[in-house]
Amino acid sequence: MPLLQRFTALGFRNLAPLALDVPAHGLVIVGDNGHGKTNLLEAIAYLHAWRSVRGAGDIDLVGFGAAAFHLAASTGAGSEIRVGFERATRRKKVTVDGVPVNRLADALGALPSVTVSPRDVQLVIGPPSERRRLLDVLLALSSPSYLTALTEYRAALIRRNATIRTAGKHPDTGARAAAWEGTLATAGAALFVARRDWAERVRPRYAELCTLLGEREASALRYRSSADTSVPPDADQAAIRDALAGALERHRGQDMRRGTTRVGPHRDELELRLGGRLLRPFGSAGQHRSSALALRLLEFETLRERLRQEPLLLLDDPFAELDAERSRRVLELLLVRDQTQVILAVPKVSDVPAAFAHLARTRILEGTVTLMDAEGR
Amino acid sequence: MSAIDDLAGELARLPGIGKKTALRLTYHLLRQPKERGLRLARALEVLAERVHPCPVCHNPTESAECAICSDPRRDTSVICVVEQASDIGAIERSGEFRGVYHVLGGRLSPLDGVQPEDLTIGHLVRRATEPAGVVREVIVATNPSVEGEATAMYVQQKLASCGVRVTRIARGLPVGGDLEYADGVTIAQALNARRDMK
Repeated sequence: MPLLQRFTALGFRNLAPLALDVPAHGLVIVGDNGHGKTNLLEAIAYLHAWRSVRGAGDIDLVGFGAAAFHLAASTGAGSEIRVGFERATRRKKVTVDGVPVNRLADALGALPSVTVSPRDVQLVIGPPSERRRLLDVLLALSSPSYLTALTEYRAALIRRNATIRTAGKHPDTGARAAAWEGTLATAGAALFVARRDWAERVRPRYAELCTLLGEREASALRYRSSADTSVPPDADQAAIRDALAGALERHRGQDMRRGTTRVGPHRDELELRLGGRLLRPFGSAGQHRSSALALRLLEFETLRERLRQEPLLLLDDPFAELDAERSRRVLELLLVRDQTQVILAVPKVSDVPAAFAHLARTRILEGTVTLMDAEGR
Repeated sequence: MSAIDDLAGELARLPGIGKKTALRLTYHLLRQPKERGLRLARALEVLAERVHPCPVCHNPTESAECAICSDPRRDTSVICVVEQASDIGAIERSGEFRGVYHVLGGRLSPLDGVQPEDLTIGHLVRRATEPAGVVREVIVATNPSVEGEATAMYVQQKLASCGVRVTRIARGLPVGGDLEYADGVTIAQALNARRDMK
């Protein structure tokens, strides 16, 4: 069943008012850089997590001169998903089948998708927060309790930080800070266990994907705690909770001097290694790209498994900066999924791989999308 | 400033009332018999003049002590700690609790500048420990929000060394509810807090 049947956009970035019928297998968007390919993919991906995959604020997504943006999608399952954001009131309204969604969390993954783009290399060379965000979005989508834990954890964290910054003003700042540590430990343990278990489960697959993408040395990923505890790697949630509570208590004095909480899942790292060395400082550009692609493929496979549905695959010029051999391998991995609906954006018609030649083609020119005929005009 | 603007301005400060509603209420009062407006004014005056927090539990009252604290049938060895006086009504409606209350007057909220000394926690600790042995249990019934939990933790810490049993109300599924309609988060918490059937 195709996921996306029709997509409309109004007032989104540079896109002209758009109504796009998407065939079951997907389509190709051809357009020079700067004409809106990435914006169109970003608009579709917005319906996945109700925010920009590029990390832009909602207000920046409203087109120049527009008062609001509206996106809508009809899915193969017969669902009608709509979102509107108004610049003046900064209000976002999401409806699914005409019913307003009060908590965005309830509508996460309404149109599940994974975006693959050259920017993904940031996943590997960027700061640990990039990798934590990948985990958070992925795990929040597949488990409501993860999202609750994440929300509670963040709320408790900013409050503990606010409390320890008043250290010195009150004799019992330690006790005041400790009041937030219960929630930090409980919610933090839930986050830790979900992230660790995911990393452990996909670890062999990550290594396999990296090999398939052409890496000769062994690739490994591991979830690493920021708490210097001697917790066994397979400890259960209660043990993690206690360990985290203990670490928070031990670090409390130091945290108060530094004015910030330095242990907990918000400082943890998804560690990537190749041939035993850390990938971030030691890997080559090509190795970084392979790892980033493998992470995106893992994201795709995890979503498919947990949502029991094929996510939409949004490919934003995925072969840019890849040599021919790597491109061929990437293509092979992507093509295993003939059930998947693909939207491929490339700069030139000649960039469309033969394997995607059967997809309908559209051209994007200054934000306007038009269908191309068989001759590619 | 006219009397109309004056009253509308005062009404608009109330929670949930905007400028338009405030004006509408003001004109409504103008159209009523004079007696009704005066009754409202007297009720407000009495509220402001006579109602004060109960010196024992901080529940608002007109008497020396509130109706609950002065009721000899209430069990003073169990104190239920709530954030707001309005929470007392909710617990009283359950008819299940026979102890007494303690109103904190809010919850810890460092982002809004609410610190422990802005709440009645110090008073609670004195109440629970002086004279020793009178209070057996303190039930912390702050809201199950992040700030409510932290407030509960802080209260627990302050009472930890006093030899008083400190308990926390449970969270889970509503009675008479349908599992099908409960949200996932509540179900997850109810599952985590499951207990053996005896």
